[in-house]
Amino acid sequence: MSHGQDHGHDFPPMSSVKRWFVTTNHKDIGILYLITSIFVMLLAGALALVMRAELFSPGLDFLSSASGYNQAVSAHGLLMVFWFISPFAFGFANYIVPLQIGAKDLAFPRLNAMSYWAYLFSILLFVISFFQGGTFAGGWTMYAPLNIPTYMPNVGGTSVVLALIMFVAAVTMGSVNFLTTIYRMRAPGLRMRDLPMFSMSIFLTVWMMLFAFAALLAALMILGAQHLVGVNYFNVDGGSLLWTHLFWFFGHPEVYIVFFPALGVMAETFQTFTGRRIVGRKWFVLAMVLVALQSFIVWMHHMFLTGINLQIKTLFMVTTIGISLPFDLMVFSLIYTMIKGRIRYTTPFLFSLGALILFILGGITGVFLGAVVLDYEFRGTYWVVAHFHYVMFAGGTALVGGLYYWFPKMTGRMYNEFLGKLHFAVYFVGFNLLYFPMFSAWETPRRVFVFDTSMAFWHKIATVGAFMLGFSFFIMFYNLFKSMASGEEVGENPWEYATTAEWATESPPPLENFTGIADYRGGKLSFLSESEANAAASGTATDGGTATDGGTPPAEASTATGSGTATGGALATAEQALATRTVESEPEHADHASYWPLVVCFAGFLAFLGLSGIQQGGIYYGFAGAGGLLSAIGFVGMAQESFHAPEPTIAEQWPFANVPNMKLGMWFFLSSDVVLFGGFIGSYLFLRVANGWMFWEHELIPEAHVTFPGLVNTYLLLASSFAVVLALVAAHKNSSRGIVASLSATWLLGVGFLINKGIEWQHLFHIHTDAFPNGWNLATNVASSTFYLTTGLHAAHVIVGLIMLLYMIPRAMRGAYTGEDEASLEYFGLYWHFVDIVWLFLFPLFYIL
Amino acid sequence: MARTKLYTAIFVVLMVFSTTQAFIEQTDLIENAYWTAFGVIIGLSTIKAVLVAGYFQHLRWEPRAVTYIVLGGLFAALALTTAAAYSIL
Amino acid sequence: MPVMAVPAGGVVADVVLAGAGGIRAPAEVFQRIFLVFLALGTLVGTVVITYTLYNAYKYRYREDVDPAPDAERPQMGELPEGGGKGKKLFLSFGLSAVIVLSLVAWTYGALVMVEEGPSQSAGQEELESLNVQVEGYQFGWDYIYPNGHKTSTLRVPVDRVVNVSVTSRDVFHNFGIPELRVKTDAIPGQTNDAWFIAEETGTYQANCYELCGQGHSYMQTDVVVMSQSEFDEWYSNTNGTESGTNSTQSPTGTESESGDHSEAIAR
Repeated sequence: MSHGQDHGHDFPPMSSVKRWFVTTNHKDIGILYLITSIFVMLLAGALALVMRAELFSPGLDFLSSASGYNQAVSAHGLLMVFWFISPFAFGFANYIVPLQIGAKDLAFPRLNAMSYWAYLFSILLFVISFFQGGTFAGGWTMYAPLNIPTYMPNVGGTSVVLALIMFVAAVTMGSVNFLTTIYRMRAPGLRMRDLPMFSMSIFLTVWMMLFAFAALLAALMILGAQHLVGVNYFNVDGGSLLWTHLFWFFGHPEVYIVFFPALGVMAETFQTFTGRRIVGRKWFVLAMVLVALQSFIVWMHHMFLTGINLQIKTLFMVTTIGISLPFDLMVFSLIYTMIKGRIRYTTPFLFSLGALILFILGGITGVFLGAVVLDYEFRGTYWVVAHFHYVMFAGGTALVGGLYYWFPKMTGRMYNEFLGKLHFAVYFVGFNLLYFPMFSAWETPRRVFVFDTSMAFWHKIATVGAFMLGFSFFIMFYNLFKSMASGEEVGENPWEYATTAEWATESPPPLENFTGIADYRGGKLSFLSESEANAAASGTATDGGTATDGGTPPAEASTATGSGTATGGALATAEQALATRTVESEPEHADHASYWPLVVCFAGFLAFLGLSGIQQGGIYYGFAGAGGLLSAIGFVGMAQESFHAPEPTIAEQWPFANVPNMKLGMWFFLSSDVVLFGGFIGSYLFLRVANGWMFWEHELIPEAHVTFPGLVNTYLLLASSFAVVLALVAAHKNSSRGIVASLSATWLLGVGFLINKGIEWQHLFHIHTDAFPNGWNLATNVASSTFYLTTGLHAAHVIVGLIMLLYMIPRAMRGAYTGEDEASLEYFGLYWHFVDIVWLFLFPLFYIL
Repeated sequence: MARTKLYTAIFVVLMVFSTTQAFIEQTDLIENAYWTAFGVIIGLSTIKAVLVAGYFQHLRWEPRAVTYIVLGGLFAALALTTAAAYSIL
Repeated sequence: MPVMAVPAGGVVADVVLAGAGGIRAPAEVFQRIFLVFLALGTLVGTVVITYTLYNAYKYRYREDVDPAPDAERPQMGELPEGGGKGKKLFLSFGLSAVIVLSLVAWTYGALVMVEEGPSQSAGQEELESLNVQVEGYQFGWDYIYPNGHKTSTLRVPVDRVVNVSVTSRDVFHNFGIPELRVKTDAIPGQTNDAWFIAEETGTYQANCYELCGQGHSYMQTDVVVMSQSEFDEWYSNTNGTESGTNSTQSPTGTESESGDHSEAIAR
């Protein structure tokens, strides 16, 4: 192991415990994800084994009555789908993607650490839910209205919703980070189409994550609000269907989010271990892109029995069959890649090949489900269970192969090949013993432990297979542990025919990944020294959007920070810029450690824990309060911290040349926020259609709800946007006073907006009419719920902006944001204008129409 | 900068459009041709949004790809809303 | 199974029979389509997997034999090429696309038939079928007949179209009678329609196929298919009373066809 480039900087060595709590390095975080997710796999797997034990005979019931079984099946699904399989894939993504694209780290290292800690604490919150009256017991699909407090009163149910929200926050931070990194930090000469297959798959995965999870977040926030403040969404007419739309709009892309990284691993290992380039690579990539796009237009095939009309069922039947076609192409591509190969049956290849076979089986059974008339019978049966375990767990199988594949790179030692093959053999037999009988027993309803005795035989076999599959993992653990200690040491590349950049550096790689700067401009990978790279950059003028050479001032080009909030990062940037201007000759160094991500995420955990039981008061108030306070401290601390994460000055950046990382990251974030609000507004529109569009206005909304307050608020918000624009103009003119004046005006107008809204709401809460004797408040009816929750979410966004302004105005008074420093002002503006734009639609929809 | 005049002009337009939307509610249009009024009002909001995004958020001067990111999100949100609403009609 | 003659244009006992009026029970439809898919799926799966394993074995690494020159093998640090060799790929892709698309297109006709109910495909003007309202609750099923009678055992006559209008009184359930191949979601606040024809007498079981709470596993009821005459006898004795139900709520909004309970027909 090399610590040669550990320039000190208080960055503890790998052997110290502290290192793991403060690290922001992508390789460390990758390992943290891998280990944590494997623990989740063990927990969720144990739950599965308990279920399978109960399913050994129909009518066994030792899981303390139905509640135990329902909790087990729900927790198994939630943990596996959310907290195991994608994080496991992202362990690899974190470790490998920057290496494959020739970058030194991700674009926002502290944000990356925050993603991990939010993930870890969300698991903790989930585990705690078991002890809060039982965990969520409504299936991983969380159908309404079983998911609302009327039918799920236990605090644990709420905790799971909140834990999932925390998890979505982690995912969103991760998607913004990976997208910015892949677009802006590739080695020169590495065009987007040249991305290695694994990085390409991660690229498409995070695109899907960005939009899909935002829809889920809308659903979860609404459900959380229903639990905590009693809004009426999922208990009214159309409410059940609303949940299924929101959930499955997310749920379908989610299955490709799960599978794509595995597909990337399969493509890499097939190429490496067959010694043949992927056949029709261009079409393979195109197929993946098509699937990523199409994944958003197939979701209603999970809803064929919900009473939707025939036309839309037909449409979704067509799109569903349509999405199976690119997969056909990819499967054949992999098969043909073997032809004329020199195939070595290494453990990674066995797992990838096994994954391909399992996926073929699963895919064929999926075609059955796409034929609506058949789906009418398969709905809610073990056919579905078998199908999705074959395809999803095929993905898991490939990822296990990925673990063996990259184990030598991460540890510098080779695993034991015999034990690896043994693992595969036991695994593959166990897998098929477990899932194939489910096709024979497909008539068994899902999520039951009582079933017809005619199917008992198949379930017995399945249970045996389950234990075999579970046991096989212990072979792997033993193998990997032992090999880490005493396995054969490897050099840079133990695999013949590997081509990607991670195999062109030490095992494990040094802190900043490579000696020299990775460069593909010569047509293949080479490593240049800093001066060589600069010379090459100013010499060539590629149309691939290589970043500018000496054109931009060093301060601007080199500073970028990785905090969670726009202003946090932006402020640190400004801070850093101020510092470097006075010490121009200071060499750039990157920071790799910060404890603020851990602090902020722990604070978030406390806050969510407090929220989960807030209706019970007592200690929950304490948690919530402590969490709120600590997160304020954490965010400020993170903003104040001088954390240096340099953007590469020379990189492939098409199509975002001249869009600094922070700005691009902000735009990705705002786009997911568009989908979040889209989910809320869409929910309002859907429920209004379901309950009668005009009936809504005439019967569910009081006369007292008039347009005028909304119009005033529109004026206030538009003026505040204008004020921010003027602040930027003042910044161009280097006028500190102008900046302070404009930002203060923005703040005052924003506060005015909130006060006006407060007055309006107070008035509505206290009306006493025949129709609304107890006022029109959050829980009165569906119209009031949608009104207050949607505009409330918007108001929360305003409040966040105002808090950011409270941080920025004092700094502006001390001269920040002038001159070239205005970037952070601009990023704040992007956020504030977005909040304004949302209101431009809320105003007519909730006041006029 | 010359842009200040442009921004001010846009601000005025935004204010005028907003007032117009509220005004439409006072006319007969919203009673007699509700969905036409709906179209006009939402259309005005869309124009306002485009102005704020294009000029205040600077999208007009950014690489087109940035606009595409946002349009992607918008498209996803619209697809969900329209398909879901249609499914229960 | 004997096919009874259909009296044309009769009023009383003008029933619809499976096969006779050209109506195929959803169960038959499903069975046929399922078997075709199964056969094709097994065939395709076997062929593809065998081919995969064959290639995996044929091209295993042998020290002395290299089926292709080194130049065509991946080199460290190379940039990926355009990726030719699309032709073979497109052939296989095209073939599988044709199979998949035709399979699904073929099922479309059946989908329309099941969806629109027997009235369309039979082309008969008056259809005599039995309409039963089904209400799911935590944790059982209530069946409400046209005369208002509520029971927790579904009794239907053999060889007759039965329309079920399914809803829920509380959470999201799913009503299904596996052997009769009828299934639909039971969603609170809305009613979903489905239909079936039972071609053999006997006792079947209805299950719940959507996790609905602690009693989900136990949410079964019996479905008794009896001859037309037995059914008529039973039905005429019910007289709009409740019998043997577990539910505590009375049916809402069911209109009873008052008067002639001897009339075994309900529209």
